[in-house]
This record gives sequence, structure tokens and C-alpha cells, in this order.
Amino acid sequence: MNSSFLWRYRVVLTSGLLLLLSAHMLTTGVRPRDAVARPGEVLLGLLSPVQSSSSHLVEGAHDFWHDYLALVQVQRENQRLRAELAKFQNERARLTELETENRHLSELLELREALGMRAVAANVIGSDATGLSRTLIVGAGRREGLRDGMAVLSNQGVVGKLIAVSPGSSRVLMIDDHNAALDAFDQRSRVRGIVAGVVDDGLTMKYVGRSADVHAGDSVVTSGLDGTFPRGLLIGEVGRVERQGPGLFVNVSVAPAVDFRRLEQVLIVIEPPPRVVAQDQD
Amino acid sequence: MARLVLLFAVATLAALALQTMLPYWLPLGPFVPDLVLILAVDLGMRHHSAIAALMAFVMGYAIDAFSGTQIGLNAFMITLVFLLAYELSTQLLVTNVMVGMLAVFMGVLIKDLGSIAISGGFSGLTGNPALMRTLLGQAAVSALLAPAVFVAMARGKKVLGLLATGRREDNSPSRRWLT
Repeated sequence: MNSSFLWRYRVVLTSGLLLLLSAHMLTTGVRPRDAVARPGEVLLGLLSPVQSSSSHLVEGAHDFWHDYLALVQVQRENQRLRAELAKFQNERARLTELETENRHLSELLELREALGMRAVAANVIGSDATGLSRTLIVGAGRREGLRDGMAVLSNQGVVGKLIAVSPGSSRVLMIDDHNAALDAFDQRSRVRGIVAGVVDDGLTMKYVGRSADVHAGDSVVTSGLDGTFPRGLLIGEVGRVERQGPGLFVNVSVAPAVDFRRLEQVLIVIEPPPRVVAQDQD
Repeated sequence: MARLVLLFAVATLAALALQTMLPYWLPLGPFVPDLVLILAVDLGMRHHSAIAALMAFVMGYAIDAFSGTQIGLNAFMITLVFLLAYELSTQLLVTNVMVGMLAVFMGVLIKDLGSIAISGGFSGLTGNPALMRTLLGQAAVSALLAPAVFVAMARGKKVLGLLATGRREDNSPSRRWLT
């Protein structure tokens, strides 16, 4: 009887047990560095070579398409000239790509020198596996000295922080993820708040009082108080301030300074930022 | 069974690699197809065993390794979607492609809404008009891709000498529990 019951409902019972297990992992707050999360690190390491190589493959395919296939459709005559032209265009595209990459890296180098802190540059090799979370994968990891919680920047501003590090790659939680939050202030009026991501809707600045002097167009920068990001890095620009409705605080939407979908290289600060003491605000 | 596990392990790794790289190279915006969820629906509708449930859990756990901040969240939601797909298939006489597409569509909505509610509270579901549009778009893209994934998996099973439709519920206690 019992055996028959177990057999009949084996899928439901197994699924139920697994749901309980995952609910337990959720409620006990298993973190990426815990022992139970180690297989995840192995998976991250397993896929990073695939991501790196396919990243190069797609770049190659992209160049090939633009430099050769498009040209073939335009002119069929004069093979020799066309081949020569394609060769020069290919060379030019390669040089342009190198120049762009060089410019990006130079800007990151300038940023690193301006910060005056030790930092490592890394290529972006993948993005989030779901459409809802905002994470990306970079091609540098523990071998380069990276650790969980390090700040990730681009030449445009703050990108996010590391949340999982494997030997050859790392996962970055971007600041527009709905689980991300960082201490910030309005650069003009020095009004402080917490900048957090909103699901599919950019950034918002929380806990800004109704009488606070915050206006559209103001720059929002990091305060350095969270111990992760150095002080004074650009997060974005105030887009809209809604003072209607009840409550102690106003709704402040912030347009991020970084175009997260076009990130190619990032800078990871491997040195903890200097301690900052909170000052009075409004 | 080992061949089925191998097939889904490879398919999950390929799906994860695609899901993490496609948005970076194509202008998909938030409409990233949830390929792993399609695999979980395929498992739930065609493979009625305890191992299949375990595989769905591992697939969700693999997503947790790559995305989001809470380990166990995707493992929970993918196992839940697997269970719902399983229950749906046991209630229906025929599980064709349309049923599979519908299951994927509903599965993506359930998974995304559930994930947001669990990670950010129910407040994350309100006051954001763009959210429902994004979720519906993602569900539709995943449902449209589902037939192709089902066909690919069926071919994979055929190549490995497995039954493409798996085995329906068999209540004989003489069978091993974990078949």
C-alpha cells in the first residue's frame, strides 16, 4: 500500500522535497561564498571559456559580415579592385576596432590614475541569463586578485559590484538591479539618499525628504559611506522628482550615467576605498 | 536514464551560455528567451520520474549560479514550473506543441512574477507599468521559441536512442522508484 502510494506520487513528492530544499536555501540566505554554493562557482568557471571564445567568434563574424558580404552585394565586377578594397577595409576595421579598444582602455587607465587606487581592467564576456536581474560576467577573476564586493566602474560612471568570483571570471551585480543599493548624494545640494535599481525602470533615489533641494538635471554621485565605492563617482542624473502624494519622501528617478548594454571594458577597484565620515545633510 | 541526464546537462549548459551571451550581442532588450525554463517544461511534460524533478531543480540551481543574488530562487521557481507542467500533462490526453507553448508562456509569467515577489516583495509588482509589458514580451518570445527547442530535444533523444515522448505515469510498484 505504502509502496504503491510512494510510487504513484513519486514525482510530486520529489518535487515537493526539492521545493522545500530550495525554499530553505532562500530563507536561510545562502550566500555565493557558502559551501553549498560551490557548485555554482564551478559552473561559472566551466562556462567562462565558452563565453570568451564565442565572444571572439561573434566579433569575427560581425567583422566578416560588414567587410566582405556587404561588399559582394554592391559590386560584382572588378574582382581584383574589390578584393583589394575589402582587404583595406578589413584592415581599417581592425585598426578602428583596436583604436576604439585602445581609447576605452586609455580612458579606464586615466580613471584609475584619477582614483589613485589599485584597479584591474576586464572585458565584459556575458550578460544575465534572465531578463529581470541585471548582472554581467567579466573575464577576470581570482587569478587577477578579484574578491567579492569589489567596486566595478566604467569611464562613464559606476557599474556595480562583484558578487561571485571564480578563478577566471566574475559576476557583477549592476546598480540598476532591483536588489542593488548604494549610498549617494546630490552633488549640487549635498542631499543624501540611497540609490537603488527598479525592475526594468532604471534607478531611483530613496529616502529623500519632501523639503529636500533636489531638481531634475542634478548629478548624483557616490558618498563613499557604504565602504564599497570611492566617494564622488558619477552614478547618474536626476530625471524626475515627484512631490505629489502622501508620505515622508519624494520619488526621485535617476537616469544612469552608464549605458549598461554597451559596456565592453570595465575597471575593478581591488583596493578598499578610504573611510568617509558622514556629514550633516538637510 | 543516464543518457537523458547527459542530454539535459549539455542542453542546460548550452541554454545558459546562449542566455548569457545573446542579450550582449543582439538588441533583445529585456526580452531574453528563457531557454532553461523551456527545457524544464519539456521535462515536466514528457518525463515523469523523480530523476526528472531532480534535474529540473539542478537546472534552476545552475541559473542561480549565473544570475540574480539569491541562491535557491531559480531552483525553487524552475522546480515549481516543472511540477505544474507535469500536473498539466497528467490531466491532458494529448500534450502537443500548442500545449507546450502555452505551458512555457504561463511558466515564464509564473517564474518571473514569483521571482520578483520573493526577492523584492509584492511591492515590486506594483507601480511599475513597464513590468507587465516586459514579462508578457519575455513570455511570448519564450513560447515562440519553445517548438524549436522541443524539436531539438526530440532529435537529441532520438540520436541517443531515447523515447522522444518519455514515459507516462506508470503506477506499477514493481518498477524502481527512481526510473
